[in-house]
Amino acid sequence: MAGITTHVLDTDRGHPAAGVRIDFSVLENGQWRLVKRVVTNADGRTDGPILPADKAAVGQYQLEFHVEPYFQARSGTNEADIFIDNPVVRFAIFDAKQHYHVPMLCTPSSFTTYRGS
Amino acid sequence: MDPLLPHSPLTRRRLIGTGLGTVAASSAASVSAEALAQGSPAPSEAPAKPSTLTTAPVSQTGLSPRLTLHAIDNFHGTPGAGMVCDLAMHDGATYRPIKTITTAPTGRTTEPLLVDEAFKPGRYELVMHVQEYFAKFGVALPSPNFLSLVPIRFRIRDGSQRYHLPVLFTPWGYSYYRGS
Repeated sequence: MAGITTHVLDTDRGHPAAGVRIDFSVLENGQWRLVKRVVTNADGRTDGPILPADKAAVGQYQLEFHVEPYFQARSGTNEADIFIDNPVVRFAIFDAKQHYHVPMLCTPSSFTTYRGS
Repeated sequence: MDPLLPHSPLTRRRLIGTGLGTVAASSAASVSAEALAQGSPAPSEAPAKPSTLTTAPVSQTGLSPRLTLHAIDNFHGTPGAGMVCDLAMHDGATYRPIKTITTAPTGRTTEPLLVDEAFKPGRYELVMHVQEYFAKFGVALPSPNFLSLVPIRFRIRDGSQRYHLPVLFTPWGYSYYRGS
């Protein structure tokens, strides 16, 4: 299956990050155009793909993860420790036939992303 | 399917078209032992191969409030030397450019990214030119690469603290955190 999917994990607590808003955008004529806003489910994933296979096209894409409200709502988090509040991942679909799974691992002070599978 | 197969590898000829041909053609010796020992500024011509790791970690304990960077190339297992980075600060509406720097052979910068009057609480973005970095070293990448201009966003909340920003990167992923 082609397209884009993501998975948000709270590696501070060792569980999926549920209820994180993600803004998905595409680069068009040098500007980021918001395509949709989605929210992670209890498994830290989105109910449908971020970008379905039939919409996959070569180009530059962006995922903005609004993790600050998630960390604020979590019990036991000191707001002063939130170093990374709205991380953004920009990546290319360079071959529209391939699938792009882009996980995001976060804590209040660290961030990791990679091409997953 | 191998994602690299449908794409022509980066060749010297292609690099010449981007003005990097002479860089790719220069020898690894362009980062001299002297430069490594002195931690001197990044050479104007970046190395054709990442430099050998010859230095021990640096402790910044006790230094004044500041923002410092350490770029680490987890693909080659070396410091991320010669990485071009654009630093910007959010002004409430957009990220306003502050400066562009290039990392030294140590993967750090010769001066702090921000220190003294320039070091202020706020939301920051450091855009790292990752595709250009790996292309310079002749790493075969898809075109466009999965990662090209990588935005590192973070927030300085307390101007009385010191902030160290390590960034670990490969052509396929990256990690950053508040270091020390």
